[in-house]
Amino acid sequence: MAGILDFAPAIVLLPFVSFLVALAVGDRLPKGGALAGIAATAGSLLLAAATFLTVSGGQTYNATIYTWAEGLNAVDLSFGLLIDPLSAMMLLIVTLIAFLVHVFSLGYMNDEGETGLPRYYAGLGLFTASMLGFVVANNLLMAFMFFELVGLCSYLLIGFHFREPGPPSAAKKAFLVTRFGDYFFLVGVVAVFATFGTAAFAGDGSFPVLAEAALNGEAGSVTTFGFAPQTWFTIVGLLILGGVIGKSAQFPLHTWLPDAMEGPTPVSALIHAATMVAAGVYLVARMYGFYALSPNALAIIAFVGGFTALFAATMGVVKREIKQVLAYSTISQYGYMMLGLGGGGYVAATFHLMTHAFFKALLFLGAGSVIIAMHHNENMWDMGGLKDKMPVTYYTFLSGSLALAGIVPFAGFWSKDEVLYETLIHGLGGNPILLGAYAMGLLAVFFTGFYTFRMVFLTFHGNPRSQTARDPHGVGWNVKAPLVVLGVLAATAGLVNMVPVEKLLGIKGIDFLHQWLDGGYASLTAHHYGELIPYSSSYIGSEATTVALGAGISLGLALAGAGLAYLLYDVPEPIRHTDRLGRIKTLLYNNYYQDEYQVWLANGVTRPVARAANKFDGGIVDGVVNGVSSVSLFSGSRIRRIQTGVVSNYAALLTLGLTALLVAFGLLGGWFV
Amino acid sequence: MVPPEYYLLLSAAVFCIGLFGILTRRNALLILMSVELMMNAANINLVAFSYVWGNVTGQTFGLFVMALAAAEVAIGIGIVLVLYRNFDGVDVTEATTMRW
Repeated sequence: MAGILDFAPAIVLLPFVSFLVALAVGDRLPKGGALAGIAATAGSLLLAAATFLTVSGGQTYNATIYTWAEGLNAVDLSFGLLIDPLSAMMLLIVTLIAFLVHVFSLGYMNDEGETGLPRYYAGLGLFTASMLGFVVANNLLMAFMFFELVGLCSYLLIGFHFREPGPPSAAKKAFLVTRFGDYFFLVGVVAVFATFGTAAFAGDGSFPVLAEAALNGEAGSVTTFGFAPQTWFTIVGLLILGGVIGKSAQFPLHTWLPDAMEGPTPVSALIHAATMVAAGVYLVARMYGFYALSPNALAIIAFVGGFTALFAATMGVVKREIKQVLAYSTISQYGYMMLGLGGGGYVAATFHLMTHAFFKALLFLGAGSVIIAMHHNENMWDMGGLKDKMPVTYYTFLSGSLALAGIVPFAGFWSKDEVLYETLIHGLGGNPILLGAYAMGLLAVFFTGFYTFRMVFLTFHGNPRSQTARDPHGVGWNVKAPLVVLGVLAATAGLVNMVPVEKLLGIKGIDFLHQWLDGGYASLTAHHYGELIPYSSSYIGSEATTVALGAGISLGLALAGAGLAYLLYDVPEPIRHTDRLGRIKTLLYNNYYQDEYQVWLANGVTRPVARAANKFDGGIVDGVVNGVSSVSLFSGSRIRRIQTGVVSNYAALLTLGLTALLVAFGLLGGWFV
Repeated sequence: MVPPEYYLLLSAAVFCIGLFGILTRRNALLILMSVELMMNAANINLVAFSYVWGNVTGQTFGLFVMALAAAEVAIGIGIVLVLYRNFDGVDVTEATTMRW
């Protein structure tokens, strides 16, 4: 049956076509290829919406499109599509954000007279296509390949302004730091193949199912290399987690992300909301059935997530530039998603991934609008008072900020609260690590509220603090329209999953996301994951009390943070209160000297090791090779002297040789006896 | 009947004369003639043994060797001719360019 799902490959291919078009003839098209990109992403968006509707009707799709390596008694390597509720939802998010970013780019790039637009739109198209390919991948190897493509595109787009010193350096850093994580991911992919003989995500022969069977003691074709299955699965899971930590900017590989702000602002929106950074968390969600089998891996994910959430939030407090604040908020929010996944809240983390995509894209595009207005000055201390000059940007940005800070009823509140709630109940069920991670996540809520509203008040409230802020540049419809769409979504997207309301008021059936993620393949449902996770739940008093308490505390902390920012910064002439922190501010402003320590690792440790290895290679390996060749050369130069070119000499040698042969035969044969 | 030792001695003598010629002469034509001598020494042996054993196979081989010698001379003369053209002479020690 030729259903709509058979057209799913087109979702990936359309942006790829726009990449080719922009690359080949972009300089001859009006708007430098933007229209091709907009048309392609709009087409993808429509198809993704159709796919979403079809999947909500209960259909799923899992097929191999092309097997590019196969063999007898060997694993088959293939490309294939897996459309289930999770990937259908993600497709919709990615295509929507990509479409809006393309439209926004008309205002941010074309109207601002940037050069190199075909290159820019080609990059955006390929970026979108790679992320969509990653989302629909039905096996781990294909996911890895598109994961790498996403990294490549981020390199190309972050380094878009390659003539300035900053962006190329930031692009290289993004590429290398994420590549460091991807190295582990690649080893993990090979380990999955070696262990299970397959890397499929879904179906009876998929590796999460095989792993589950192996843990239940069923004999199967699982090779664990002498380890207990539990230990080995944890090792493999942690290897793959290396790639996740790199891409999703978790501690300690988060350092590339703030530098990536050197790229054009729409690119930042795309990277942070829908592609690249989201890829890491999505990967964990995609193979959650595998991670759920390993309590240790889950605990590490949760702890890293909680720590990153707090760590990044504290750094966001002191930044001067609007995009830097948003960068640290992204790291922090992805920390929450990891916390949710590690804490057993699969639906909660996916929910946060979705709401974050909306409100973070909104905030970046809003920041882009502010940056246009400020003639590309990003320093918040030069802004102020923009509220009245650009009301559309202000109100949409406010909607995104309320969502980011987690103020009820905006999207971020519902998802963040559910992440924290799931972690709390599973932590109370006898897991102190989760409780520690929960505490860090909870503390980060306060900082999030503070830095978010510090940013809002510094940018939009008070008196203008510079000439450009007094007379900002206007923005066009192509900037405002995406902001309005996302502003509405950031305010309302949380309503799809109002679990606290359901639990408190007892209204059944308003946890739509839970129901949504329970559909599709039996081994990939939220219900199945709930049975797999190794946690037990426990409550303070009743379930309703716990819900109310958790939501109350996190909302209270968010309001406290926002309130503190209101007191300190919502004045006509705010002063730099963070200076009072003294040396702590210096520490925070320098990102806990993370960059310095990583540079030291590279210079002080890796370089001497590399130098020693180079010496071994140059001295011993090359020495042996060179020795063999110089022996040959020397003996050749001696032996060639018998080659005189005189025929008589050769004849004499022949005769002598024959005589010697005869004598030898004679002696050995005993002719002379 | 002449005993075969005499044939062998004759053959060895002719062979040694030929070998001596190859090793000492510098003229390509003389070397070619010396090669002919050595070949005919072998022929003498073939015919002699054939005669002694009363088997004509050896004589047949003798005829073949003669035909072969004719072919060899044709090639040899050709080489000598080219040698003369390229080096203005038939002295084999002059033509030493075919080496490292």
